[in-house]
Amino acid sequence: MFERFTKDAREVVQGAVEHAEGSGASSVDAEHILLAMLDREVSRGSFALTSLGVTGERKESVREAVAEARRRAGLSQAESDALAGLGIDVSEIVARVEEVHGVGAMSGDGKDKGWWSGRRTFGRGAKQILEKSLRVALARGDRHIGDEHILLALTVRPGLPAEILADHGVTQESLIRVLYGSGEAKAG
Amino acid sequence: MTEATDLAERAGDRDPRVGLRAVAALRRLLEQLEAVQVRSARNQGWSWQEIAAELGVSRQAVHKKYGRH
Repeated sequence: MFERFTKDAREVVQGAVEHAEGSGASSVDAEHILLAMLDREVSRGSFALTSLGVTGERKESVREAVAEARRRAGLSQAESDALAGLGIDVSEIVARVEEVHGVGAMSGDGKDKGWWSGRRTFGRGAKQILEKSLRVALARGDRHIGDEHILLALTVRPGLPAEILADHGVTQESLIRVLYGSGEAKAG
Repeated sequence: MTEATDLAERAGDRDPRVGLRAVAALRRLLEQLEAVQVRSARNQGWSWQEIAAELGVSRQAVHKKYGRH
């Protein structure tokens, strides 16, 4: 699948791995792909983000939202709400674990970065994003998978990145508007 | 806010999506809790065998998931 990835898309994947390694996370998650997207400077994806106002402080705001959600076991607001429906208070659980194991204990990130000696693999969420980016590109009739397709995939798959992006005005609809000019125009 | 949040807010509904979403979230929460506890046990010098026994899984399973290859 990766042979169809453009240089930009590959750099996002590589960047996601580096974000995971840098934080001592046990696996590369969808959030790491989002963080890597934010690092892009000159690409279709970064153009789209800039067009939608995700630049400077707004970029920082996305990063903070990711960090806060990871502290809460990487659960999105929707997921926390679903658990609340079962009578499970995620904030309470996180607070108790942090009392014993320190702030950020539930983030999956290790302060003792060497603790995870297993192979750092792509988590299910991250794999789904990459698979989705392929499908997004195919559906648009694009021959290659660029970082804009990864960004689109992040907004399409329900979960933390989509929720955080939507809170910052980045949705599938708004992306298609800035990338392709209209809802139904087909690129390539 | 999002469609998903609306779904969760209608937790009283019999919409299977609400229940399924809760199960998926619970699994994620469980994974993080397990990692925290395994790490803590290792830091305190527990063997993989002891950790596996408490988790009710095989030593191989826990070692494969968290241990050295």
